[in-house]
Amino acid sequence: MTEPEQSYELATARLEEIIRRLDSGEAGLRETLDLVKEGRTLVEYCAGELEAVSQGLEEIKLDELIARLDDQSPEGE
Amino acid sequence: MEESPQPPAGIEGSGLKGPFAVGAYAEMLRDELRGRARLQLFGELWNLRRSKFRVYFELRDARGAVPCSMWLDKFDALGDSAQAIAEGAQIVVAGGPDYYPGSKTSSPSFSFDVTALRVAGEGDLLAKLEALRQQLRAEGLFEPQKLLERPQLPQTIGVVTSETGKARDDVLAGLKRRGWAGTIIWGFAPVQDRRAAGAITEALVDLAGIEQVETIIVARGGGSLADLFAFCDETLCRTVAMLRVPVISSVGHHTDHTLIDDVSAESCSTPTHAAEAAVPIDVTAEREALRAATSTLVRHAQSAVVGRARALAALARVPGAHIASQRKDLHQGAREVRAAGQRRLILERERTRTVAEVLRRKAEAGAGAETLTRTRSLEGLSSALAAHDPARMIERGFAMVETDAGAVVTSAAQARSEGKVRLRFADGDVAAKITEDDD
Repeated sequence: MTEPEQSYELATARLEEIIRRLDSGEAGLRETLDLVKEGRTLVEYCAGELEAVSQGLEEIKLDELIARLDDQSPEGE
Repeated sequence: MEESPQPPAGIEGSGLKGPFAVGAYAEMLRDELRGRARLQLFGELWNLRRSKFRVYFELRDARGAVPCSMWLDKFDALGDSAQAIAEGAQIVVAGGPDYYPGSKTSSPSFSFDVTALRVAGEGDLLAKLEALRQQLRAEGLFEPQKLLERPQLPQTIGVVTSETGKARDDVLAGLKRRGWAGTIIWGFAPVQDRRAAGAITEALVDLAGIEQVETIIVARGGGSLADLFAFCDETLCRTVAMLRVPVISSVGHHTDHTLIDDVSAESCSTPTHAAEAAVPIDVTAEREALRAATSTLVRHAQSAVVGRARALAALARVPGAHIASQRKDLHQGAREVRAAGQRRLILERERTRTVAEVLRRKAEAGAGAETLTRTRSLEGLSSALAAHDPARMIERGFAMVETDAGAVVTSAAQARSEGKVRLRFADGDVAAKITEDDD
């Protein structure tokens, strides 16, 4: 089975669902441990995504980027 | 201002007159323009703006334009038609050219001095714009952008704006407010001249072609609708509608409504809001929420194991606790029964005492002569009985023979068979042995 494409919004939505289930107190021991494990994986993913937009603003000019790509293009071919 | 007493030397080789002082020339120009024929013009009104005393606007048609100005009180005297006048409206003005010569500290300006104005109808430009809007809507081009998935946390954002405009700073401020510090690719383009629409379209296509770009912002600050016309360009709007990347537009003030606002994924009132719409979540707050979620998970993991272990231990203690509880109840019951018995005993004793007292008193009250006679008779009988008491006999010198067990020996044969007897006197008893001498 292929994993569905992950995104921050999907990850946070699933995390909220997990916490709601845990807070309900209805999950048994096995389910609780499985949910906690999945939740930790999601937290790590989300933390990585937040980290990616917290490293410091990078500004690139489109013209310069295109010029750079054009320069690289003949070498690549 | 003091007149320059001595003009400088002119340009060598120039055959033209002068040099003359500019102020004098400006005054001459003003007089010359004021002397031109007064007439009426018609065209579309654009860029209407008010100052303290005058209103300014441009009169435009396809071939050219003339800046106009009018005294504010005359403009307001036009009543509702002046208040309701819209950008692009077809108007007729009366007046003539004028020139303000300026001074050392103020700029000169040319304008057509309007002394009368009449609203003739809605401008062609606006009518064309509305027709194009209806056409794009009918073709369903307002929808595709709105159906695109919008990332909550894009890592790369493309921005199309002027390199020198304030909108650029506003976008940065909006992103900073979100705590976002990813990658921005700036697609700088002119945003109001005749080259603007083409340059903006090209920047949008290029940005959407970069795989990492997840959202594009198109931003321009306020201006007249004429200034914003580039954002109503048909090719630009059709291009935006078909892009794979969501476009967030912020063009002009919140009252302006350009066609790009209709076809984009979202239209915002300011570039700052557009930036916030591009990053819907607050990164700083989200980091905090993630910390809270982590704590919740840890708490549940702990309580799932530790809590259940405690519950099991409590369950294991239940039989002992149950017996202890039953024992406690029993002891309590016993104490209560004992206390109730004691109370009952005291009550019964008290009642008995009362009854006995009553009987005694009744007996005393009922005792008469017969009772006295019976008492005396009893005393007589008692005396007679005492006379036959063996103890009295013994006091008179008799002795009584008894076995060791205390039984009275009443015959010699019994004494003989006992062998050992006790002789009982008034002052005590003496052991005696029965012997018989033959002589």
